[in-house]
Amino acid sequence: MYTVEIKNLIKKFGTVTAINNLSLNIESGKITGLIGADGAGKTTLIRLIIGLLPKDSGSMCTLGLNPDTQKNELNAKIGYMPQKFGLYEDLTVIENLRLYADLKNVPQEFDKLLEITSLAPFKERLAGALSGGMKQKLGLCCTLLDSPEFLILDEPSVGVDPISRHDLMQMVKNLITGKTTVLWSTAYLDEAHSFDTTVVMDKGKIIYEGKPHDLAPDSAEFENKVIDLMGGYKKEESMIAKNYTPGNFDIEYAVEACSLEKKYGSFYAVKNNSFKIKKGEIFGLLGPNGAGKSTSFKMMCGLARPTSGTAKIMGTDITKNPEKARSNLGYMAQKFSLYGNLTVRQNLEFFASVYGIGLFDRKKRMEEIIDVFNFKDIQNQKSEELPLGFKQRLSMACALIHNPPVLFLDEPTSGVDVIVRRDFWNHITSLAKKGVTILVTTHFMDEAEYCDRISLFYHGETIALGTPFELKKNAGAKTMEEAFVTLIKESENEKQ
Amino acid sequence: MKNNRIVFALIKKEFLQILRDPSSIIIAFLLPLISIVIYMYGINLDSVKVVMGIKNDDANPEVQTLVKSFGHSKYVNSIVYDNMTEMTDAIVRSKIKGAVVIPNDFSTKLSRGQSADMLVITDGSEVNTANYVQSYATQIANNWLQTSRYKYLVKGAAVTPEIRTWYNQGSNSHYFILPGSIAISMTLIGMLLTALVIAREWERGTMEALLSTQVKKIDIVLGKYIPYFVLGMVSMAFNVFLCVGIFRIPFRGSFLVLFAVSGLFLFTCLGIGLIISSKLKNQFLASQVTLGVGLLPSMLLSGLMFPINSMPVIFQWLTYILPPKYFITFIESEFMAGTIFEIVIINSIFLTVLGLLLFAVVYNSTDMRLEK
Repeated sequence: MYTVEIKNLIKKFGTVTAINNLSLNIESGKITGLIGADGAGKTTLIRLIIGLLPKDSGSMCTLGLNPDTQKNELNAKIGYMPQKFGLYEDLTVIENLRLYADLKNVPQEFDKLLEITSLAPFKERLAGALSGGMKQKLGLCCTLLDSPEFLILDEPSVGVDPISRHDLMQMVKNLITGKTTVLWSTAYLDEAHSFDTTVVMDKGKIIYEGKPHDLAPDSAEFENKVIDLMGGYKKEESMIAKNYTPGNFDIEYAVEACSLEKKYGSFYAVKNNSFKIKKGEIFGLLGPNGAGKSTSFKMMCGLARPTSGTAKIMGTDITKNPEKARSNLGYMAQKFSLYGNLTVRQNLEFFASVYGIGLFDRKKRMEEIIDVFNFKDIQNQKSEELPLGFKQRLSMACALIHNPPVLFLDEPTSGVDVIVRRDFWNHITSLAKKGVTILVTTHFMDEAEYCDRISLFYHGETIALGTPFELKKNAGAKTMEEAFVTLIKESENEKQ
Repeated sequence: MKNNRIVFALIKKEFLQILRDPSSIIIAFLLPLISIVIYMYGINLDSVKVVMGIKNDDANPEVQTLVKSFGHSKYVNSIVYDNMTEMTDAIVRSKIKGAVVIPNDFSTKLSRGQSADMLVITDGSEVNTANYVQSYATQIANNWLQTSRYKYLVKGAAVTPEIRTWYNQGSNSHYFILPGSIAISMTLIGMLLTALVIAREWERGTMEALLSTQVKKIDIVLGKYIPYFVLGMVSMAFNVFLCVGIFRIPFRGSFLVLFAVSGLFLFTCLGIGLIISSKLKNQFLASQVTLGVGLLPSMLLSGLMFPINSMPVIFQWLTYILPPKYFITFIESEFMAGTIFEIVIINSIFLTVLGLLLFAVVYNSTDMRLEK
């Protein structure tokens, strides 16, 4: 029995072929993981399957219905959670639930759902004020209200911490029946490894379809196998690092946080945060959503004023001399924060000029950067039209354009595919070897392993500090993910 | 019944969003308040007192009384000059807006029963004021002639036209500008409120979620029309209250008719806003386009500021597809002349036809998929 049957499907956007003669069957009652590089066509395939996009040619059948002509009948049987969750951010949790219950014509009984998701205490909170993990849970609740036969999740875990991801997985498994078919698109390969079936997409085609365990017995090996399938990743010398000209700094600690504190009313977003990062060190800031990582970040680069305490960058106090401190800093924000309607080249030019690179040097530097980052073919493309991976690279290029000795990266790899992530980290580690000091946050626990030291952050406070090895040892855990979960739970228990 | 539940849910959702989002409240209530205050105190099309210079070269004492009549007029502030250069200088410096020169043979000519000349200088850089200067000077001179002893000497004494303005005896321009300003703020409110709302759903990704439920096209369209119609009508009531209750603009028509036709007008405006919104799918662009298509034509081409029959023919034709034209014609007459059934019926028919056409376009341009 198949829930979805697709034969020779083709879908083009203008001249770009998004889905290229694709055939696929999705088995009923199973969880199928959909993985692939950015721009491989995962979201397009999902939208075609549920009739949100019309196909160009080929045949398609979802739950025995034709998504092109029977979209309404189909909608009654499916639950779809789009990438942005589809929540009304200016409605409260309970109002969102009531709305979707009405739209799906089911009774307004939410007690059980609210209990399972532990959203009950936040019933009256606006959806926009929830943390990423809670939004995702609420989105899932709304999707599952009418117990759909077919559940479709499009990258639900982007930018969500390991604990929330774990909860979400449990929720889905608890809330569906044995008959429910699930199609789950994800960038987390450990997630994909735990599903019944894996479908790997590349350039609009299916390049692998089968049981994840047939590919590899554990998730680390699975990741390597998937990378091989996608054409493989060959670790090369980082041109970015090779072209980096380090400044002459004689300083032991490049970045210092001195009892940083941020208070909103009586609430501490960040409490007594102190650490010192040696020159050339990669320092990871980990913690669940809403722990205060981003707030710390913003205070350290002078974008938010600390209630008390301060930070020093290359010895310069950020609260006293923000301009000078920032001139040593390259910052990559969590969200894509470049100018979408400027081209790649124009963005680089703009950042070169705001970082104060003179006209003569600028031209030379531009050519260098375009060459090193391989932007030659896309330099005249609007940056908003780039695939996510390229956007990340462009953000990084803009952060590096003035050769800063310190780099702040706030979730630089959120929503980026596995190959781009590997490549990205190759550059980061190589830059660190050249003496660049790096402060980074991430939700990928495998990436935490690249860090020299990690500060685990929870409820605005540091609860553990040390090398990845030390943290794992303290928690008695095998993987960083386990260590993360254990340490957070321990801190929770201590509080009670 | 099942279908009703969806529409009600969407309407309820929209109302909750309106209450949470200060921008729709600002558009619905602050915008009309500001616009009415500006039209009330800032804009005045009435004749105002103008400062004029007078130079009298005629030594005859009888003519002195003419100079005095300029001084007594309630429309003129006169300054007497003896020196021509001084007066010219005052005009150049805009100290006076015009001047009258009475030549030295003025009384002599009149005594002989000839028509006498009088020089009126106006400042052409301010055309409106120039017109006032000209007509005030002529009127004052004629009036003076009627009362002076030359009255019987001048043959065929000029017939002074007596002007009576109906419906607005005081020629108080606020009486027609304020109702007109209601029409303009209703245009803006109707279009702006809805221009943002469909675009917002696309931008925030909620449309994608809606489209994967059993929501039908008509549900989405009604779910947008109804809440903003209600909000728009409340705003209309607020407008009328400001005009009639606070600023005491006389209202001679029937409130029932006023609100019925306003409802029709709002219906067309909501349609335009929704079309813009569903076509552009971007809030910023939608609001810009709304100001361009909504505000400017309704100000300039509706007949409120500039009379339609003095426009080039092609623009006159264009005004026929602009709903504000019909509404402004209606609302001005409803306020000042009372309910005139012909005006009500003709304008209502046009508004209904436009509104239904726009509804059809909205229905057709509402996408039920991510692309066509």
